[in-house]
Amino acid sequence: MRLVIARCSVDYVGRLTAHLPSAVRLLLVKADGSVSIHADGRAYKPLNWMSPPCVIAEADGVWRVTNRADERLVITLEEIMHDSSHDLGVDPGLRKDGVEAHLQVLLAERPDAIRAGLTLVRREYETGIGPVDLLCRDTDGASVAVEVKRKGEIDGVEQLTRYLARLEDDPFLPHPVRGILVAQAITPQARLLAADRGLGCVTVDYDALRGLAPAIPTLF
Amino acid sequence: MKFRVERDDFTDAVAWAARTLPTRATSQLQVLAGLMLDATGPALKIAAFDYEVAAQCGTAAAIAEEGRALVSGKLLAEITKALPSAPIELATDGARVVLTCGSARFTLPTMSVEDYPTLPPMPAVTGHIEGTAFAGAVSQVAVAAGKDDTLPVLTGVRLEINGETLTLAATDRYRLAVRRMKWRPTSETVEGIAMVPARTLSDTAKSLSGSGAEVAIALGSGPSGEALAGFAGGDKQTTTRLVDGSFPAYQRLLPDSSPLTAQIEISPFAEAVKRVALVAARTAPVQLGFTADHLVLEAGAGGEAQARESLSIGYDGPDLSIAFNPAYLLDGLNAVESDVVHIGFASADDAEEAAKKPAILTGKAPDDGEVPDYRYLLMPIRLSG
Repeated sequence: MRLVIARCSVDYVGRLTAHLPSAVRLLLVKADGSVSIHADGRAYKPLNWMSPPCVIAEADGVWRVTNRADERLVITLEEIMHDSSHDLGVDPGLRKDGVEAHLQVLLAERPDAIRAGLTLVRREYETGIGPVDLLCRDTDGASVAVEVKRKGEIDGVEQLTRYLARLEDDPFLPHPVRGILVAQAITPQARLLAADRGLGCVTVDYDALRGLAPAIPTLF
Repeated sequence: MKFRVERDDFTDAVAWAARTLPTRATSQLQVLAGLMLDATGPALKIAAFDYEVAAQCGTAAAIAEEGRALVSGKLLAEITKALPSAPIELATDGARVVLTCGSARFTLPTMSVEDYPTLPPMPAVTGHIEGTAFAGAVSQVAVAAGKDDTLPVLTGVRLEINGETLTLAATDRYRLAVRRMKWRPTSETVEGIAMVPARTLSDTAKSLSGSGAEVAIALGSGPSGEALAGFAGGDKQTTTRLVDGSFPAYQRLLPDSSPLTAQIEISPFAEAVKRVALVAARTAPVQLGFTADHLVLEAGAGGEAQARESLSIGYDGPDLSIAFNPAYLLDGLNAVESDVVHIGFASADDAEEAAKKPAILTGKAPDDGEVPDYRYLLMPIRLSG
């Protein structure tokens, strides 16, 4: 990743022509070969860019970036304020279900936040058709399968139902086996379906579990 | 079925009953989307039912031909609202209903009357109360009821009948509202407890409060033994299923006396809380600093926006700093229905103790010997550092 902050003007010649008059901008040259020109605004959106693969020809004060379609970006540099290169290594990628995974970790530490008296047997208990998020034990010795979702919907109830059917046949588990769907919010439809199937529904406060917001004291 | 009604009476009755129509009609309960028009008695009865709440409203009608019809409630409500000012005539025509009003004419499909469930009958009346007073008391209490369906028992208002005393209570764990009032039971020794869904109770009490009418309250059970509460006034009656579960033993939360109280004029106080709370984030507290005859309200933190306002009040105690959720505080100030609020704290000597324990808001001084009719107990938010 090469970062250049420079006063520059940019001309784009391709399917259309565009001109960026002289101003201070951030030029990003990424390892994938892309070049993008950013102003101090528009969030992630560059003013102009060239997707890879492209060829960068650096001459004195002028960069010529050409792609396969022979579209050209001509960057005229008047003054360079910053120029640095960094090796970022391999990126693990965006994990969109990060909240869900984190909720599972937090609840594994504090199963009593789901229901008082609940203790953790193990995380990711294998059922043969996929692991159930948390396997817990209730105060009366019953097994409790907990499926953790960010948003509790019909799918989550169906998934938990399938796991429970498997767990009920598991000879090593103390019976009965109950099921609880845990989410930050649960849709009324999912709640209804869960109630029909005798499953519990619990909503938890992610921020409170993370210790971000101080738990608001209650009267009782 | 054929009858003639006044336009406004019919529109009001339809609109009132239509409020109980289920919001989401599921396929097997399609008939519940209908309003039952029952012209078999001397008056016309309009009913809606969603398996939780049943609402029935009567209105005078000239019935030419007795009968019943089930028509789409939403459509009928919209049509009646838009009708011109002229008498309405409704008549069945085969599987349809024809509504005529002035020069307007609507033909509506009907649903099978036989498929409509039987409405739970109103239980035997337990007693009576003046409608406006009842609605006022309900609104004072229902404000503290929980809105979170994960704790169903807290979404109800607890109605306790003890002879001539009716006690309403609700709590969402952060505050508790209790209202006691006199009423006229049918028997002086009657006792009973019912957890009525707060929303249904508020709506019902409000709609029965007009015209200074008496409201009849009936606690009992429905045809399959489920607990029911019924409310009737004028031509309207509502029955509702009750909330399951046991209400927390709230009496022990209420202090017998408050060693330290502050007297604050409500309207400037409420205005100040509203202003200062503008800078408080969603659940952030407003901090109240009590010093002799003085109150300083503060909100906002650190580098964010901050606000501060001071008021002259009646207070004679140690310097005390206590923080509340501004929305809950305002709910309490609105509900005490007085010019001056008395805020009672748990300790007169230990300000730290007083800032941790619930404060009690009442409309009148608690030191004149008797327990105030209305009490609003509010849990403070602990301030970090």
